[in-house]
Amino acid sequence: MTKRIYSVPYFLWIVFFVIVPLAMLLWQSFFDLNGHFTLNNYILYFSSGTYLLMTWNSILYALIITVATLVISYPVAYVLTKLKMKQFWLMLIILPTWVNLLLKAYAFIGIFGKYGSVNNFLQFLGIGRTQILFTDLSFILVASYISIPFMVLPIFNALNDLDDNLVNASRDLGASAFQTFTQVIWPLSLNGVRAGVQAVFIPSLSLFMLTRLIGGNKVITLGTAVEEHFLTTQNWGMGSTIAVVLVVAMLIVMRMTKERRD
Amino acid sequence: MSKTIIEFKNVSKTYADTDTTVLKDISFELEEGKFYTLLGASGSGKSTILNIIAGLLDATDGDVILDDKRINDLPANKRNVHTIFQSYALFPNMNVFDNVAFALKIKGVDKKEIAKRVSESLKLVRLDGFEKRSITKLSGGQKQRVAIARAIIDRPKVLLLDESLSALDMKLRKDMQYELRELQQSLGITFIFVTHDQEEALAMSDWVFIMNEGEIVQSGTPTDIYDEPINHFVADFIGESNILNGKMIEDYLVEFNGQKFEAVDGGMRKNEPIEVVIRPEDIWFTLPNEGKFNVKVDTQLFRGVHYEIVAYDEFNNEWLIHSTHKAIVGETVGLDFDPEAIHIMRLNESEEEFDARIEEYVEEEETVGLAKAVEEENAEEEAAIQEAVKEALENTMELTELAETVNEILQKQENETENSESGDHK
Repeated sequence: MTKRIYSVPYFLWIVFFVIVPLAMLLWQSFFDLNGHFTLNNYILYFSSGTYLLMTWNSILYALIITVATLVISYPVAYVLTKLKMKQFWLMLIILPTWVNLLLKAYAFIGIFGKYGSVNNFLQFLGIGRTQILFTDLSFILVASYISIPFMVLPIFNALNDLDDNLVNASRDLGASAFQTFTQVIWPLSLNGVRAGVQAVFIPSLSLFMLTRLIGGNKVITLGTAVEEHFLTTQNWGMGSTIAVVLVVAMLIVMRMTKERRD
Repeated sequence: MSKTIIEFKNVSKTYADTDTTVLKDISFELEEGKFYTLLGASGSGKSTILNIIAGLLDATDGDVILDDKRINDLPANKRNVHTIFQSYALFPNMNVFDNVAFALKIKGVDKKEIAKRVSESLKLVRLDGFEKRSITKLSGGQKQRVAIARAIIDRPKVLLLDESLSALDMKLRKDMQYELRELQQSLGITFIFVTHDQEEALAMSDWVFIMNEGEIVQSGTPTDIYDEPINHFVADFIGESNILNGKMIEDYLVEFNGQKFEAVDGGMRKNEPIEVVIRPEDIWFTLPNEGKFNVKVDTQLFRGVHYEIVAYDEFNNEWLIHSTHKAIVGETVGLDFDPEAIHIMRLNESEEEFDARIEEYVEEEETVGLAKAVEEENAEEEAAIQEAVKEALENTMELTELAETVNEILQKQENETENSESGDHK
């Protein structure tokens, strides 16, 4: 009985902050600007080239950000597991997540700006000042930077749990370092990689603050579109439709990257 | 003598960061096709030796030679040596087939050939039909077998077994001991087995190395080591024993507990202090005051095959004795043993000195086999019976002789009385 009492806050939370908002979102997506029930929002979404391009952009950029993060995070996590004070180094990598996202974005504006430190350095090298801020590159760079801790952590845990003897056994049985990686280490850390991909890819689909502050609104993702519809065009129905599409996309990704147990 | 497969020349291992020496100047030679065991407590350096052979650790000093080649700088995957780890280290992301096939797949062997050899290998460890099984669904014993099959599939020169049976329960461990021994003999691969279990070491090995604090304390056949331990450590580590301080009065005469005993050892200084080892199974009970000395029974434990009895002598030394009879706690009995049962250990004797002394003074017992041994025992028994019969016969002969003499005397006396009587009549 007491166990049930303890679970009450959890269920209240789930009902009021997860189920009801999702239901409201779904409900809202079936109404047009004048408050009439309609399926037009969905029809428009899937027939308009703009929205489809936006969807494609969102997926493409999320994919690029995820891959870039993975390429950086995997070796980092691997090296971390070999260090003596690995928990300390891990903490240093997690530390930036304690700083507000907006603050980090502004910091990057300072760094990448026309008179920022990077351009000063390029000037010093004789290359001259270049446009870095508001480019695709800077957007991907900053988005990846912000995502790295979320990728490193699960991969680090997976690699840390890996029995050293498995690596030894593989080497012992004649496998080179590369073969050991492809045959043993990578397959056995895949669950960590999956968790990391989930934690990076899904939020990246709906990034909107960075697209504006760092990407200079040149990259319009679904997240930006939702924000525009709710705050600027006041078309809540269309905004909700896009949000529903995003939710469905996230469910698909989670399904695809589900941890496999056998 | 067979070919030497592995040689250690003055190998030592020091960890620079903690400045601990785990191996001190180890040298030995291992012959091809034999079953070797490194026996020692944890931290004695036995696993370090194994890891150095496998290539998982580097020796700080000295040469490691495999098959006539120095392999110190050869990476682990280039050595024709496989290890069976204590945790088995089976790849959980692969099924039984893929685990066993691993070494061949790495080499890029043809698929048909792999399938054939995997099934052969699994048959050897009696796991045929388990190819598709997932590793997590195997029992401890089955995992152990898969690990063995995986390690023998490409017939390495040497197989290293790191505490491989320790994770199994008692019964399974005993079964695996037989199987490992059989496998080793049928494959002809050199096995190097690391264990802290002395019983396991004695049961399976052709040759045992006893290690303590990074050094080899004694090496020899299991019987040599059991019968002639070099020092207190080995005697105590290998089996149960009674160890007492004593003094070697002269060759073949030893003194302990204030008593002198006949012994079979020699080659020591006069009155040299030594330690005496007597194994519990070499002692038997006698009636009080009829043995070498008396002891009082303190406790006993039933061990299945025998009772293990702890008794104290008048000097309060503890004696461990094996007996098939149950004792009454508190009773006083005599103890007796043969001179051969007394094994003498000099203090701080090196292995070379020890070996030389043993060779000179202790007779090697030859293996004659069970049938021969029974025959010999029967012959001895028969001889004893014949002796007894002969003695009895002789006794009867003597008796008859005595009777005859008595008869003669009686006859004489009779004659004499007859004569005197006849004389009287005259």
